Amino acid sequence: MLYIVYIIAIGSAMILGLILKLPLLPERPMRQSWTTSVIFPTAVLALGFTAMVSKLGYLTSTNIDYLIALAIGILTAIFCKFILEKLLPKPSGEEAPAFMEESH
Amino acid sequence: MNEILGIAIAAVISWFNFVIIDTWMGLPEAPGVKGAEAIGRDIKKRGGDLAGGFFQGNIVCSPDASAGTLLASIACFAIGTPEGGFIAAALVYFGNRICADPGYAGTTGALTITIIIAAASYIGLTPVMFIAGMMIAILTIQGLHHPASSKLLGKIAQKMGRYTEIE
Repeated sequence: MLYIVYIIAIGSAMILGLILKLPLLPERPMRQSWTTSVIFPTAVLALGFTAMVSKLGYLTSTNIDYLIALAIGILTAIFCKFILEKLLPKPSGEEAPAFMEESH
Repeated sequence: MNEILGIAIAAVISWFNFVIIDTWMGLPEAPGVKGAEAIGRDIKKRGGDLAGGFFQGNIVCSPDASAGTLLASIACFAIGTPEGGFIAAALVYFGNRICADPGYAGTTGALTITIIIAAASYIGLTPVMFIAGMMIAILTIQGLHHPASSKLLGKIAQKMGRYTEIE
């Protein structure tokens, strides 16, 4: 049953991320992209947050777990769209990596 | 499985896991922060390779696949497999972003080693062996001889098309 909880959390985070107009993937070359996308980091964070909730003992092994997974997915997508870039902004000025300075 | 043999196998797996992912994610291409550039140039001055030096500087300055591999191994030991690895991946992402790094290498490294630890448990390898193995793996890169290890990392970067264009 636990794997269904993970699937619901990741799936709902990805679907809401797409509805909130997050791109599916970062632009290429991906390894240098700072764009918040549906696959990275939304899906990865949904996976991590679900594991945290599970291991903290908030899952009940009943059908309510599916609702909890849905809530985790929704909150993760909202977090990635509206809060992540404010909480952890891209580096700028002297802290910016060399390849970012060249692109400006 | 015999503990010493297990640690040796885990060290080899961890070494390839973090070196391949970090190189693929472009660590030898450019220093992520100024500290990484200083380390890279210092290693080159001591007879090493610049791309390998940038690689070493980057893994010092932010939690890349090396830290992801180690933290996921620790989390799998402390919390359980695979949940610990998933939690480590999410936390490594936040650590990456705090360290001016987009976070691809760290999270990918944490997730791949979690899958490897889960699969290797069937042949008797435990997360503890991966913790010890990763310590040995990182020692070979950062702890023994910087010029020699940076040359090896530079050659791997050239083979994977990730060699630096910075002079």
